Amino acid sequence: MPESFLWIGLANVVDPVNLLAIFAGALIGMFVGAMPGLSATMAIALLLPLTYSMRPETGLSMLASLYLAAMYGGSVAAILLRTPGTPAAAATVLDGYPMAQKGQAGKALGLSLTASLIGGIISSIVLLTVAPLLGRIVLNFGPVEIFAVAVLGITIIGSLSQGSAILGLLSGAIGLLIATVGMDPTTGTPRFTFGVLDLFGGVNFTVALIGLFSIPQAIRLIVQGNSNENERVSSIRDRMLPTGSEFLKMLPNSVRSGFIGVFVGLIPGTGGDTASWFAYNEAKRFSRHKAEFGTGYPAGIVAPEAANNAVVGGALIPTISLGIPGSSSTAVLLGGLMVHGILPGPSLMTEYGDVTYTLLWAVMFANIALFIVGLLFTRACITVTKIPNRVVGPIIVVLSVIGSFAINNSVFDVGLMIAFGMIGFVFDQARIPTPPLVIGLILGPILDTTLQQSMLIGRNNWMVFLQNPISATLLAIALLSILQATPLFGAIARRFRNPPGADTISSAESDIAGNRD
Amino acid sequence: MRMTIVAVLAATTAIITPAFAQDASYSAADEINVMQGFKAGGGSDALAQLVQPFLAEELGVNFVNQYIPGATGAIAWTQLAKQTRPDGATVSITNTPMLTTNYIMNPSITYTVDEITPIANVVTDPGVAVVAKDSPFKTFEDFVKAAKDNPGTITVGNSGVGGDDFFTSLIFEKAAGVKLQKVPFEGDGPSWTAAMGGKIDASFTNVGVAYPQVKEGNLRALAVFTEKRLPELPDVPTARELGYELVAGSSRGYSGPGDFPEEARQQFIDGLRRVTENPKFQDAAKAQAMNIDFIAGDKYRDFLKKQEAEYTQLWNDIKDEIKAQ
Repeated sequence: MPESFLWIGLANVVDPVNLLAIFAGALIGMFVGAMPGLSATMAIALLLPLTYSMRPETGLSMLASLYLAAMYGGSVAAILLRTPGTPAAAATVLDGYPMAQKGQAGKALGLSLTASLIGGIISSIVLLTVAPLLGRIVLNFGPVEIFAVAVLGITIIGSLSQGSAILGLLSGAIGLLIATVGMDPTTGTPRFTFGVLDLFGGVNFTVALIGLFSIPQAIRLIVQGNSNENERVSSIRDRMLPTGSEFLKMLPNSVRSGFIGVFVGLIPGTGGDTASWFAYNEAKRFSRHKAEFGTGYPAGIVAPEAANNAVVGGALIPTISLGIPGSSSTAVLLGGLMVHGILPGPSLMTEYGDVTYTLLWAVMFANIALFIVGLLFTRACITVTKIPNRVVGPIIVVLSVIGSFAINNSVFDVGLMIAFGMIGFVFDQARIPTPPLVIGLILGPILDTTLQQSMLIGRNNWMVFLQNPISATLLAIALLSILQATPLFGAIARRFRNPPGADTISSAESDIAGNRD
Repeated sequence: MRMTIVAVLAATTAIITPAFAQDASYSAADEINVMQGFKAGGGSDALAQLVQPFLAEELGVNFVNQYIPGATGAIAWTQLAKQTRPDGATVSITNTPMLTTNYIMNPSITYTVDEITPIANVVTDPGVAVVAKDSPFKTFEDFVKAAKDNPGTITVGNSGVGGDDFFTSLIFEKAAGVKLQKVPFEGDGPSWTAAMGGKIDASFTNVGVAYPQVKEGNLRALAVFTEKRLPELPDVPTARELGYELVAGSSRGYSGPGDFPEEARQQFIDGLRRVTENPKFQDAAKAQAMNIDFIAGDKYRDFLKKQEAEYTQLWNDIKDEIKAQ
């Protein structure tokens, strides 16, 4: 039965109307992704009513393609402007922008595009083959397990603390603290809201992200003026696509990051924003050139970009096999199914198999559409680097204001964005790394909610985390990850010679030294 | 020259007016703003997308959706109650129980139902108790017995503090004289997913969201919280027939700002009534598992006031206990 759906789906998707829809989706998605503040979820929600009149498979193909393309689009702004277009592209800023500054913007975008293609293809293959099997795994991830995943995520802070571990931890802690603003998930008590209604739902993560990255960048560009023009200009004719040997070199990293993306997408409540950091961290862990990360190192672009595109497939797995939305974007996609009278649920794979498999094939074809559209569109984007800094700076500010307003149609959020911009600027001046703050903001709410839920489920017994095999394993990996970021293993060896205890935390920067800028 | 313009104007008006006069049964405005307290693509939006194309035809107006998410709808509803001009050009989608529980639970939220004009409720998604297919609870009585024997240990998921399922759990605890370990999730999906994966013992959720899983046999429905058994779940007893006074669900409808013009309100209600009686609309609603529950005008106000009184009482009884956690 599923085999026949597989071919029906393929036959449906190559229909010219559907292919056109996929290309249209890729174009819109890329544009939406590149604009800070406009997210894939928002675009899907706004376009949804337009797809009502289309056949279900055409509408869904377009929306799936849009979702995928937005993931790549986010990296365009991240690389060229140091302003992530989507939260999932925040990790791409770290190496993408320095690379563009070296005059290799075209190459950076080409790497991002190729990595996106690989990540996307991996996730489509997983979707088309083992989705129903993986769907069952989702049910094993309850609050206790998701808490352990989030703890593991927090350990990434260790490797993102370029320069000083203390400052990195400070930044991460501030992020976690800001994440507690808003109504307590289990008691409904407002925390740190000062009676301001706009804060009841917490600090919007995307708003904070826009402020943290783009405002300091705008200030920097305006202050710098056009002094370093020579340095910034990237040739449009620059070779974008990696050469054969470069491609082979990036392949293991992309494949690993792709699988990380699929897995993180699979877990309910975590998406592209989390996956890209996980992948970045793993790429760094496996790399022999750790110090080069953050200075425009290709692997630092490939990893997050492969991962965030792979998330699309991962997030669709629970959506299609069980009817559980794996992310906010797939939740809106599910709404699109309901309009056509298809109730999301297990029957998606059986009763509505033709529509579902068309959607899955659409994801596969969308990768190719994205690649083609990306090649054309990206060349034009590189011209951004030719615009004088003093013009680009204010444009970034305008885009940030529009973007932060558009998320919730809220003027308050614009103010919040500017406040975060100031924090980002102060952080930059004080050489405090911003990425740990972002990690804190992403994972804080997940930690908070799942910890409280786990305590309710486990009747206030902390052992609940160790009695559960999945969470115990994840927590053990987290512990190893922390120890790895410290010179403890080295210190243990030294301790045999030199008994008094070495302070493990304060000297943690040894292997993660790396210059900012 | 001037004459031609007048003539042209007269001609066009002559053509347009009759078409309009026939449809225009809403006199207060040509365009109605609909404030939604939640994001595009959520439950409120689903209602808007379902109802408004039909209603636009009935009333001869255009609808403009305005999304003002935040504080579980409280930002939009505060704006509705305190700042919106009652000229008939702006209404809001009002969801229960959040509309009342927001201010019952949080003193910083200051609007009340008395400051708005309820127009009509359109849909209600009834509450249901579900467990995993391999759960030891075969019937609702098994579940109640276990809750009685082990007070405070049976874990029951809900869609979030202040949501309908949370208050349903409170009403049930009172009605059955039991104590549950209530676990709030962020929305219905995570709540029933956790029950399906055996992470919690049961989930109080809504029929509309859990039905596909129940139909497929992944979840077992123990009881529905309705007056009568549901046609789609004929074998599932209601809590009432088992002896628990528990009728609950989450409802969505339309309300205007306070002092909404009476004439406009009546026209809106009449339009909505014609929509809910339209077989095409009924089919569209059914396809989306939306259960039409049309409560118009002052009856909708009474419904909200009754819920307000009931939930205030419940919250006052347990708030100290919850805050102490």
